[in-house]
Amino acid sequence: MRVLVTGGTSLLGAHVARLLAARGDRVTCFQRRPSNLGLTDVLGDLRDREAVLAAARDHEAVVHIAALVAPRPRYASAYAVNVTGTANVLEAATRCGRLLHVSTPSVAFRNVPTIGAAAQAATYDGNDAYTLTKVLAEKLVLEHSAVPTVVLRPHLIWGPGDTQLVGRILDRARRGHLAIPDGGRAMVDTTYIDDAAEAVVAGLDCCVDAHPALGRPWVVTGGDPRPLGELVEGILRAAGLAPRYKSIPAPLAGVVGRFIGTVWLGAEPPLTYFATRQLSVAHWFDLRETREVLRWTPRVGVEEGLLQLRASLRP
Amino acid sequence: MAGDPAAPRPLSPTPEQLSAWGLNPAWSRRVSFVGADQLSVDWHILDTGTGTAGTIVCVHGNPSWGYLWRDLLKTLSPKWRVIAVDQTGMGYSQPGPARRLAQRIDDLVAFVTQEVSGLLVLAAHDWGGPVAIGASATLSPVAMILTNTAVGKPEGLRVPPLISLARTFVGFSCRLTPAFVRGTGWMTASSHRAALSAPYRGASRRAAVRDFVADIPLRARDPSMATLEEVANTLDTYEGPVLLLWGGRDLVFHDRFLRDLRDRLPQAQVQRYADAAHLLPLDVEIGVVVEKWLSGVFSPTPTRTWDDAPYRSVLAGLDERQQDDRVIYEGPDGALTWAQLAQRSTTAAQQLHGAGLKKGDRVGLLIPPSPDLLVAAAALWRVGAVPVVADASSGLGPLARLLRAASPRYVIGTKRSVFAARLLRFAPGATFASFRGRHGELTLSAATNSDFPSPQLLASDLAAIVHTSGATGPAKAVRYTHGALAAQRAAVGNLLAMDADAAFTTSFGPFMLLAPLLERRCVRPDFPVDRASDLGFDELAAAVTARGVTTAWLSPASALSVVATAKGRSLPLGLVMLAGAPIAPSLVSAVASITGADVRAPYGMTECLPVTDGSDPTRVGRLGGASTGRTLPGCVLRVEPIAENIEWGEILVAAPWMFDGYDAAWSVDEKSWVEIEGTRFHRTGDVGYLDDAVLFHLGRYAHVIWTDHGPVASVAVEGPLAAALEKRVAAVGLGPRGTQLVSVVIEAPGALRLARSDIRELVRSAAPVRVASILEGRLPLDARHQSKIDRSALSSSAEIFHAGR
Repeated sequence: MRVLVTGGTSLLGAHVARLLAARGDRVTCFQRRPSNLGLTDVLGDLRDREAVLAAARDHEAVVHIAALVAPRPRYASAYAVNVTGTANVLEAATRCGRLLHVSTPSVAFRNVPTIGAAAQAATYDGNDAYTLTKVLAEKLVLEHSAVPTVVLRPHLIWGPGDTQLVGRILDRARRGHLAIPDGGRAMVDTTYIDDAAEAVVAGLDCCVDAHPALGRPWVVTGGDPRPLGELVEGILRAAGLAPRYKSIPAPLAGVVGRFIGTVWLGAEPPLTYFATRQLSVAHWFDLRETREVLRWTPRVGVEEGLLQLRASLRP
Repeated sequence: MAGDPAAPRPLSPTPEQLSAWGLNPAWSRRVSFVGADQLSVDWHILDTGTGTAGTIVCVHGNPSWGYLWRDLLKTLSPKWRVIAVDQTGMGYSQPGPARRLAQRIDDLVAFVTQEVSGLLVLAAHDWGGPVAIGASATLSPVAMILTNTAVGKPEGLRVPPLISLARTFVGFSCRLTPAFVRGTGWMTASSHRAALSAPYRGASRRAAVRDFVADIPLRARDPSMATLEEVANTLDTYEGPVLLLWGGRDLVFHDRFLRDLRDRLPQAQVQRYADAAHLLPLDVEIGVVVEKWLSGVFSPTPTRTWDDAPYRSVLAGLDERQQDDRVIYEGPDGALTWAQLAQRSTTAAQQLHGAGLKKGDRVGLLIPPSPDLLVAAAALWRVGAVPVVADASSGLGPLARLLRAASPRYVIGTKRSVFAARLLRFAPGATFASFRGRHGELTLSAATNSDFPSPQLLASDLAAIVHTSGATGPAKAVRYTHGALAAQRAAVGNLLAMDADAAFTTSFGPFMLLAPLLERRCVRPDFPVDRASDLGFDELAAAVTARGVTTAWLSPASALSVVATAKGRSLPLGLVMLAGAPIAPSLVSAVASITGADVRAPYGMTECLPVTDGSDPTRVGRLGGASTGRTLPGCVLRVEPIAENIEWGEILVAAPWMFDGYDAAWSVDEKSWVEIEGTRFHRTGDVGYLDDAVLFHLGRYAHVIWTDHGPVASVAVEGPLAAALEKRVAAVGLGPRGTQLVSVVIEAPGALRLARSDIRELVRSAAPVRVASILEGRLPLDARHQSKIDRSALSSSAEIFHAGR
């Protein structure tokens, strides 16, 4: 199968592209900079409809991973990439015949504990530029796709090479101001990168007519929730750092996050209200139906993932 | 008394009102028929219309209306046709002249005759009870459901003060002001009040409420007294199945009335709700219970049968030893010989018989383990009465609940406990007595009857009511028959296998009662029986060494305390029974090294004790858990898998010495039995498995953790962790059943917190399943034993902790 993967320079994009290539698919990566994956690269911008359509020509499927991820992007920029870009991908995928769209559980984050939530029909609750535009993108795909389409919401992807979760934790710890709400007691689901990539490949194989996976989003996790504090400690240890962090009361963290997020002038405030709330309350999920429908099950989980992270950080 | 001429036209409830009250508007309709004295009657009824099983006609009391039966209407239709009538002049029925009880009965008969054909069940509440029961003489219902009602004032009881007050100022309280109507509404949840009082707005519409109250016969000369007596006779001769549903917090029809109904209806099945009040049909979802009961009535399951073969009576040992001067019980409060027990219990029995105590009467015992307790129990058995043994260690509140639920005719206690029980109204309508001095004489004024025939006690006759500890759920009243008690005596005797002159000691209060049955001397250690953990090494040693004790039956809390206070000393014993599975192997080893005894941890519960012999308690099973030994001869044990592809499950037991049923808790009782291949098993609510004929205990069914890889038994996780950490641990589930995570909590002082990483690694390497979180903190323990971890509470705390904020 000829597959176009958008966002080949991202952690997930690169893993998915490699995994597809390894099983014999002919993979093209579409992004602005070279992916250096040794696969066919087509360089271009998602916002450029012609470029997207051209890149997808003669492909049989599109895996749409690229997105503008930043703590506080300008709404216009986020809209252009996440919504217009997704509309372009949708048009291209309609010509190809199938689409796998990668969304995020943040589109349904409600600022209340999520405890063993079962797979369910789409609900939305965006409140910043990133999540609002990801909501629009997901709705666009679910409501307007004319070809078999699967939507996945992988939750907190991490692993070797991860600049988002792992990168930020290590960066803060090295600078001596890593603080997490309430000592990291919130139970959170995460997804090791290999498990996430395998879920995407499994999801792509569900893009056939009348498949039960079509038409609704699926939360993907490693199925191995842990208290946040334990994960943070594990990541610090993996990097050879002392497993220490400060604890701040969750309500205070929210206030501080709201303050910094408001007064910060740059594009990347170190803390936002949204981010502190996501670290303060539980979010873990019931994977039973997802596993069954996608015919996929996470293999790596937290313990094994940390060993691999350690191997990558301390060669 | 004439009807109010200004009475307005009947006003039916609007469809909007009915919907808002949770009633189907299509059920509401009006019916005209010729009622008592050939008067034309117009009723409003709620009628679900169709039903294949039959018709249930529900009769409300005063002042309420058909709304009262909302749950029954909703739950039993469409299987049953349910009709809730508004009695003549009441609710939304046409006001008319005042009706007396006899006329109300005739109205109901006329209504049912006109409207209902086929199988009939009557349900009634409050003063609807006498109406329905009166009508049953003509209508012959196949079954009756009665709730918080009465057919007269039980002997020796004053008129309920609320009724007499309402009667005295009947016009004022019931018609001119809405006091009576409103007052009734206040007895239930606020959400019901509007619906209950809706038909009674305006004094003119409360005329029937007044007339109804005025008609309540309180004195012999009251016009309806003769009718009420007839109704009582009808009830006494009714032989069909009856379900008594009772709210325990009813200020008017309190438990004394329940006892009266139970006496009149020996066949009745009773479900008492301790926290429900007068308007029980609104306080409790009775629909599901009634449906289940009715299905059982028409397809009865076989109950336990006793062949009433001769058995060794509880008093046999005593009768043989009337002149025996050897000691049967000794404790800090004195000793008791066989001869003293025989003589004193005879004295007390003669007094009790003289005071009117009959075979089958229940008597609350509020006496701590002492010679007096043994005397009282033996005296009751001599009369054929049933001791209700309430363990003082349950605490005052639970004790009051237990006693109130049992509704005893007499309460025998110490002077202090009798004073407290009277003051706090533990047993409304009961007579109280305590021992006067040390010769078995009770503080009863009635003449003694020194020449009464010993009652014939059959194996199926009730022998005692004891209570579950409440450590693993609300305390339940457990009925034992004489046959079961005799079988239990034999089973325990075989298990202990004590020489005839050997003595035993125990930390369980009720167990001391077994001494005269086992015909073995009991030595009570000097410690407060309600605080098992206060039995230390010194107290046990004092009881054991000087008095030739060879056998000890200890609770885990006592055993832990003895071990903790031993300080390297030893205390030779032959046999130690540790009751209260699961017992940690470390505790077994510690007790064995102190006592050098054969230490056993048998499985058993208040409902069936013992089940296994407790041998080899440190044995390791293939699925973990605590070894409880081999099943005792005569006991049948089954393990019913609780999920596919697992080799463990719920433990079911059947034994000749198991209990007869839970008292006044039909619905709980019904769920606790299961029939398999002709044997009636008790569902223990515990899980475990059999390995090479040895029963391993895996904890409570309610504590099973349902992960997405299948069920995990708490004890199977905890065992290896406790051994590795040398600390008490609890494994609980987080999140919804079916996708739960396993959280391990290690006992430590203080609030819950994440455990250190080295401890986490140790736990994860020792745990047989994936563990999501490892916490430290205080473990909630049950108030009574201070040993059982309240895993439900802990599970909530851990879930709240991990939910964040």
